[in-house]
Formats: sequence, structure tokens, C-alpha cells
Amino acid sequence: MATLAHDVDGTRRRRNPLPTLADANEDISRPILVPSWRYAAVLSVAIAGVLLGGTAWAYQIYRGIGVAGINHPVGWGLYITLFVFWVGIAHSGTLISAILYLFRSGWRTTINRAAEAMTIFAVMTAGLFPLIHLGRVWYAYWLFPYPSQRMIWPDFRSPLVLDVFAVSTYFTVSLIFWYTGLIPDLAALRDKFSGWKSKLYGSLSLGWTGSIREWTHYRRAYLYLAGISTPLVLSVHSVVSWDFALSIVPGWHSTIFAPYFVAGAIFSGVAMVITLMVGLRFAFGLEDYLTEYHFENMAKLLLLTSLIVGYAYAVEYFLAYYSADPIEQESFLWRAQGAYQGPFWIMVFCNVIIPANLWFKKIRRSIPALFVISIFVNIGMFYERFVIIVSSLAHEYVPSGWGLYTPSWVEIAILIGAFCWFYMWFLIFAKMLPTISIAEVKEHLEHGKEHGHAEARAGHPGEFE
Amino acid sequence: MSAPKAGSKAGLIAEYGSMDSTRDAIAALREAGFEKLEIYSPIPAPELEEAMGIYHSPVRLWALIGGITGCTLGFLLPTGASLAYPLVTQGKPIVSIPPFIVVMFELTVLLTGIFALFSMLVHARRPKLTLPSSYRREFSVDRWGILVTTDPQQQAEAERVLNETGPLTVEVTP
Repeated sequence: MATLAHDVDGTRRRRNPLPTLADANEDISRPILVPSWRYAAVLSVAIAGVLLGGTAWAYQIYRGIGVAGINHPVGWGLYITLFVFWVGIAHSGTLISAILYLFRSGWRTTINRAAEAMTIFAVMTAGLFPLIHLGRVWYAYWLFPYPSQRMIWPDFRSPLVLDVFAVSTYFTVSLIFWYTGLIPDLAALRDKFSGWKSKLYGSLSLGWTGSIREWTHYRRAYLYLAGISTPLVLSVHSVVSWDFALSIVPGWHSTIFAPYFVAGAIFSGVAMVITLMVGLRFAFGLEDYLTEYHFENMAKLLLLTSLIVGYAYAVEYFLAYYSADPIEQESFLWRAQGAYQGPFWIMVFCNVIIPANLWFKKIRRSIPALFVISIFVNIGMFYERFVIIVSSLAHEYVPSGWGLYTPSWVEIAILIGAFCWFYMWFLIFAKMLPTISIAEVKEHLEHGKEHGHAEARAGHPGEFE
Repeated sequence: MSAPKAGSKAGLIAEYGSMDSTRDAIAALREAGFEKLEIYSPIPAPELEEAMGIYHSPVRLWALIGGITGCTLGFLLPTGASLAYPLVTQGKPIVSIPPFIVVMFELTVLLTGIFALFSMLVHARRPKLTLPSSYRREFSVDRWGILVTTDPQQQAEAERVLNETGPLTVEVTP
């Protein structure tokens, strides 16, 4: 009963009493660097997918951007869809690690490490797409403000340039935040292993000893990193949304875009966290640490953001009606009835109707059900980005300028490659680093011990602080 | 327990099994006049910082300096670039403040983060290639440690105070 978290149905046998600090150390670091053929098989599939995507990209560079389906009038297709999708996935990692840290939500403790890793790998995936979309990728440096011989500078009034700043800052700060959190755990791994493994983790831990001076500065730095990551996460997807909202394309030119995109980003990200966490829990036997309690909290977050996203869909239609602009109205009617009605209704079904199941507590606490719902949301959010981007461009002002878009095999191969690229990094992370923050779990266990398990029994393992 | 060399500062390293006993031991040692203490903890330990009388970290100031630097750079870069290559787009002024605020904000965050990380490392005296001889592997698992550095003649007294606080082990360390 008294485990790290409360277990209502008690179906799973857990450790009783609470795991000790040494148990936590051992359980979390057990799978690290242990070879397994299953892992190798899954990783090889991911690497094969990356090779497929890489080959397709190489082919596109060789032949030119014409091998992709994007053309006039739909100049932004699957590549930009995937860029927005992956930046969105990244967001909930920062939400869980930074915002919930500031709110002292204890349930984030066991999730934040993997969620932050997901953030970094998602931004790494997203960052590829502007390059892929460029076609002539060797001109990518034109995006950056550098003192060129001809004194030509980028236009800082363009959201595309702002995006470069937003996404690269987001990647750097997320990486710093993640690494700072990892330092004490790397030291724990150094002390667990011997030989070259100890040397490897020892050098990564920068010689951390956990002395009180180190902790003082560390806690400060971590707090400020959490503090600055919080507004950062809200800014990044806002800037991404302005790539669209600052144009005059009907369906894009709307002030609702920034909050709408941020809510959608957190929605898709939480779904991806659930998908990955179910996998980790299953693969590494982390039932003591990732309990129904944690999944239920994530499910609540998923439900909340699903409602916001559903509301945003409705408001978009209301705004189109209320604008009294026939072009805007036509654009939105066409979205639900025209050539892209399939993606549109998939989007509504996956993002609004399926997550409504989460109103039921039984479903929120059922890990298989959550896994299925999270997959639906992942698909739905991909289609949301697709619908916003493609259906708006395909149906602009003048009928002679209308046109449809179908992804080519190159784009599909790169899509597969992108997912495999993301999972490849996540798999490497899961084998190399602790997927749960050892120091933070121990902190909670220690506090729980001193407070007589009361909170742990009540099902609020984190709220000691 | 071997006797320390004459004239050298001696160190005693004591191991504890919980945060509470470590905190009590720190209080007892400071009460007895031993101020040269080094504490090891496997988890963040605000209680122990308090017991040691540490309240502030200069990381705060560095983060602020980083933020101000970033904000300034974030204004100067787009302004300077726009003035160096003045091209009217969208009918907007050459120096358009609203879009530049995004750059100012992003660089504020970026430099705050970088300054926070590096000032943390500098003040914590990391990176280091070797671990101190008083360090034990258990300090990253589930043990707390107190290293008392004293003059050799006070070592017996320090050991007596330490033993009263219920440590798991007490050892002399070079």
C-alpha cells in the first residue's frame, strides 16, 4: 500500500514499505549500459528509418526541391507541418520540468527527466525541417545575422527570423536545464560503476561531489533555469504561430493563433510523454516510480488542453463568421467540407472526441487506455498542423490561385525518418542515462520518510515541499 | 585509526544515514566551535544549508547580469542590423520595436541560462578531475558526510563531539 504513490485498485504488486534511497539508486540505474537483444532490435529499426529518411533527403538535395510535393500555391507542406508538430511536442517537456517545478507539483519528479529529454530530441527533429524545406540547404546560414561582406542583414521584422532566435534559444536553454538536472545523477552513476564507465560518467558529472556549496549554487541555478524556461516555452510556440498569423492568408491571419498553438503544443506534448512513459515503464520495470497516480495527472493535463484546443477550433469558426469577411468564411467552410475534410474530421475526432473519454476516472487510471488515447492525440495533432497549414494555402483569395497538395514519396520517407530519428535518440538516452531523476526521487523519499509516510499514503507523494 | 602527521591539518570524515541526524550533527559541531566543515549530501539539502548558515548564492547576481546583457544585445543587434541595411518592408519603420522585443526576450533568456550554468560551475569550483580524499561513493547513494578539518590538537575533541551525534562511521582522512 505504502509505495511511492497511492494505488487504488492494488492490482500490481509494489514494494512495501517505500523503496529506500539505495533501492531508488539501484532500480533507476539498473538498465543503464546493460546490453539486450530486444533493445538492439528496436534501435536497429529506428536507425533503419533514419537511414531511409536520410537517403530521401540526400536524393532531394541531389535532384532539387522539385521532388517534394510542395509547389504553387501550397508552398508549405509536410515539412513545415512536421516542424510545427515537433516544436509542439517539445513543449510539454518544459511544462512538466519547469512550470510544475515552480508550482512544486511533486508528481513531476519521476517524469521530468524523460520529458526534458523528449523536449531536446523533439527540438532536434524540428530544427531539421526548416533546413530540409530550404531545398538549398547550404544557404542555411543566411538565416543568421552575421556580418557579411556586403553588409546584408536579415529582416528582423520577419517572424521567420524571430523563429530562428526562438527555436535556437529554446534548444540551448532546454539542453542547459536538462544537463544541470543530470549532474548529480551522473555522479551517482560514476560511483555505481567502475572502470571506463565510471570515468565516462565521472567526466560528464564534472567531478560533482554533492558538497553543500555545490548544492547551494546548484539549487539557485536550477531555480532560475526553471524560472526563465517558463516564459520561454510560451514564447516559442507563439513565435512559431506568428509565422502564420502575420501573413494575410485566410485561415492564418488571426490573433488567436499564439494561445491556440501553445495549448495545442502542450496537448500534443503530454500525449507524447504518455506514449513514451508507458514504453519506459514497461521496458524497464519502473512500476514503483511511474504509477497510476502519475499517469492520472498527465491524463488530467491532457483533458484540460484537449478542452482548450476544442474551444479554439470552435472560436476559429466563430471568428470567421463574426468577421463578416466572405473569404475568411469560405476558407473555414472549405476546411470542413472541401478536399481536406478527411484530415479535418480526423483532427476533430482525435483531439476533441477521443480525449473526452478522460472524464472517466477509470479510463484516466488505465494505462493501456491512456496509451491508446495518447496515440490518437499524436495523430490528431499531426493532422491539426496539416489542416491549418495546407488547407489555408490551398484555398486563398482568387479561384484561379487554388490548388491541392499531395505529399510525394520523398516527403513521406522523410516523415518516417523524422519519427525514427526522434525515437533513436530517445532509445539511446534510455540506455545511457537515468530516465528518472535519481536525486529528486531520493529527495522525495527522504522527505517522505521524515514525515512518517503520511503524504505518500494519501497519494500525494510530492507535496512535502 | 592512524594518527595524523604532526603539524598538518587533520580531517575527520563522519557518515550519517539521514538528513536529520546530519543537521543535528552540524549544529553540535558549530556549537562546539568547529566551523571548518564540509558537508556531502546525495540530495538537495536546504536544511543543511540553513544549518551551515548559507543563505545566498552569487548565481543570482550572475543570472541577472546575464539577463541584462542579453536584453541589451537583443536590442542592439536588430537595431544595428536594420540601420546598417535600411530596407523598408511592410511599410514599417526601420527600427520597429515590437518585433525586436521578441529578439530582446529570447536573448535575455539565452544569456540568463548560460550565465546561470557557468556561474554555478565557477562558484561550485567545477569541473574537477579528481575527487577529494574525504569523498565516499556512498555519498551519492544514501549517506551524508561531514568532514571536520581541525588542528591536530583539537582532533580528539572533534571526534568526541562527532561520536555524540550518532554517526555511522568516523574516519581520519589525510
